[in-house]
Amino acid sequence: MPAAKLPFGLPEVDYSEYTNRQLVAVPLALLLVSLLIIGGVWLTTGAPVDLGVEFTGGTEMRVAVDGDNADQQIQQAFDPAPSSVQPVAGEDTYILTFGEGVDSETLESQAQDAGFTVSAIDATSASFGEQAQIQALGGVAVAFVGMSVLVFVMFRTFVPSIAVVLSAFSDIVVPVALMNVLGIKLTLGSVAALLMIIGYSVDSDILLNNHVLRRQGSFYESAYRAMETGITMTLTSIAAMLVMTIVATAFGIGLLSSIGLILVFGLTTDLMNTYMLNMSLLRWWKFEGVNR
Amino acid sequence: MADEESTWDRIKDNWRIVLLVVVVLASTFALFSPTLASGSGAGSTDAEATASSGGLTNIQYGLELSGGTRIQAPLVGVHATGVELSNDTSTEAVRSNVAANIENASASDVTVRYAGEYSGTVQQTTVVEVTARNVTAAELGTALSEAGYEYEDTQNRVSKVTQQTAVSILRQKVNEAGLSGGSVRTVGGDVVVVEIPNANQSQVRDLVASRGQVLIQAYHRNENGTYVRTTVMDSDDLQQVGNARQLEGGRGAEVGVIVAEDSAQDVQQGFVDTGLAQEGGTECRYEQAPNQTEPCILLVQDGQVLNSFGVRETLAQPMRDGTWADDPRFSLTTGNLSTAQEVAINLRAGALPAELDLDSNSMLYIDPSQSERFKTDSLLAGIAAVLAVSGVVFARYRRVEVAGPMIITALSEVVVLWGIAAAIGYPIDLSVIAGFIAAIGTGVDDLIIIADEVMSQGEVSSQRVFQSRFRKAFWVIGAAAATTIVALSPLAILSLGQLRGFAIFTILGVLVGVLITRPAYGDILRALLTGEH
Repeated sequence: MPAAKLPFGLPEVDYSEYTNRQLVAVPLALLLVSLLIIGGVWLTTGAPVDLGVEFTGGTEMRVAVDGDNADQQIQQAFDPAPSSVQPVAGEDTYILTFGEGVDSETLESQAQDAGFTVSAIDATSASFGEQAQIQALGGVAVAFVGMSVLVFVMFRTFVPSIAVVLSAFSDIVVPVALMNVLGIKLTLGSVAALLMIIGYSVDSDILLNNHVLRRQGSFYESAYRAMETGITMTLTSIAAMLVMTIVATAFGIGLLSSIGLILVFGLTTDLMNTYMLNMSLLRWWKFEGVNR
Repeated sequence: MADEESTWDRIKDNWRIVLLVVVVLASTFALFSPTLASGSGAGSTDAEATASSGGLTNIQYGLELSGGTRIQAPLVGVHATGVELSNDTSTEAVRSNVAANIENASASDVTVRYAGEYSGTVQQTTVVEVTARNVTAAELGTALSEAGYEYEDTQNRVSKVTQQTAVSILRQKVNEAGLSGGSVRTVGGDVVVVEIPNANQSQVRDLVASRGQVLIQAYHRNENGTYVRTTVMDSDDLQQVGNARQLEGGRGAEVGVIVAEDSAQDVQQGFVDTGLAQEGGTECRYEQAPNQTEPCILLVQDGQVLNSFGVRETLAQPMRDGTWADDPRFSLTTGNLSTAQEVAINLRAGALPAELDLDSNSMLYIDPSQSERFKTDSLLAGIAAVLAVSGVVFARYRRVEVAGPMIITALSEVVVLWGIAAAIGYPIDLSVIAGFIAAIGTGVDDLIIIADEVMSQGEVSSQRVFQSRFRKAFWVIGAAAATTIVALSPLAILSLGQLRGFAIFTILGVLVGVLITRPAYGDILRALLTGEH
């Protein structure tokens, strides 16, 4: 059996050397661990992931501080003190985050009293954030169900369809677990990214299924060709999002950096899921499943 | 002749490229043409007409990229639909019966509205609405049942009619306050969004925080000799509200009003009945001796007495004669000019039917200098992403004729999206820019699929081979596009504020890509690979 020729000079992989069970084990184990992490966080905090100020309520303020001891100035200026202080690259500007329960007008006047220049305030009250939370969760659920239905309608075969849906599910779950592990908070941007993963990550799965189901030639020939294209696609997207995340983080553009970061997580997970989980489900179906 | 024919054939064969060029040119026109500059605003609805013009281009920038304040909050209130009231029940009775069963509401918080059309909004059934704080839909339901009224459904938000009225009054307030470019709209069903460029948070808060209900009341003794307040006019009775102006001599300010013709008689009668128009006029001592004063006029805003004053004989006499109603002018005095301006705005716009729930709000303030920085920084992030994509694509194909057109095609998609934004006057925000970047991402993905498919299994020898391979590639692209659209459509509808632009432009990008740019890339590739031009 020929080995898969991968782009970018990646080492060759010969799938026939591995059993389906071996291939499936890794992504499924990771999915299980992720679900356990999310479940644990959900049970202890009441939410599947650490929520940002847009969902819990709170204030994010961008201030310019003159002078050298900016950190000290910031700590003295505010009551209560900010829960996080994040510097913006190349400027004397800091992004301060405050928990809920403090009026944004009060914080603004505290900042002005301390001689800071306030250049942006983003404040959400707790009950408004709660609404956003429900909508965000609902949105992700609706998007996922919609995508699943569409996939089943397009392929009209159970195993290949469920393989795509399962991959996509894992593509969302693993990044969310990763957010929990790395202490990244859920923002509106990350919700957008999760929805984007649903649309984006299935591309390579659809490509793989399409090649295996609808093309002539052996399973390996079709699959390897899909792999060559699919890996190029996903790596291109990862590169774009990685660079965007780095630039946006440096400039303190929260929305762009959280969209980019979560998409990097999701697309990387997707590489694994498509070519281990989806691939072996398809192989099992092609060689054994169909005859049952 | 033969030459001309072949030119025509060539255009026909490459119609997808021609279409792309035409669309890109049209988008460039939409972006830069000065003729569209003013028209673009008119074409858009109020909903999207935030924004300041971008100067060189016709692009309108949203709040994050132009600076200003946005407050989002729901309106306070709950309502019941399909309430069954028998014909002989008076509205007054319903209001007090319902209020009696709700702890936090009084009769004045309860509105009863029969089915019908209210300034453009059709209401199918009879609605009972409570616009007091801390009242839940369940409490309203219980109150209705206890009072013996049947209803279909209760909801934890104000009715459509109330919402529309509130939005149009808020719009008027924003305009009256001289805050140019402001917009008021609703998202996600019940959240009202007030967006004002170049205003800071306290300016906007002050404007929308209160209902702005101004009442002109008589403070007088009733038959039993105790002092009561009787409302003699409110903003509904007025036909015209003048500008606030400083009084000569520096003490206080005033707002001149003209009472509407149909209300003039009633207002006049009110003045006479309450003793305001008594002979010789009245001298008001409300502030010094509220229990001994002659009848006073109280200027009341949101329940707070702003000023109290007496009536001069020059006004009282024509009221007693009944001639005042022929030319019903009146002047409201206040302590200072800014209060007078506030009163004038509130009188012109009228009172909000329900309060904005600022305890449950989301506020965004961006300083203009910050928005400028966001503009350049997000542009840099976008360019960096494009460079990354180009690098990867070149590394993979190592052929300029494959990778070059790929990048150019993907960028043309962004030009088309900018053009659409300029043409429909959609304000560009950070989230829209994220949508542009996402469009490049999905776009290049699809172009890779096309390139790989077309170049697979050796050289592309003929048109026919190309066509069949292209069609195969297109199935995958169509399927991928459909899933992206399905996945992002919830965001395009939900009220998750800023993300709407992201969803709308990602979806638009996918559509533009599938319908126009990606097929054209196929043609470009064919021309370059088959050697047929």
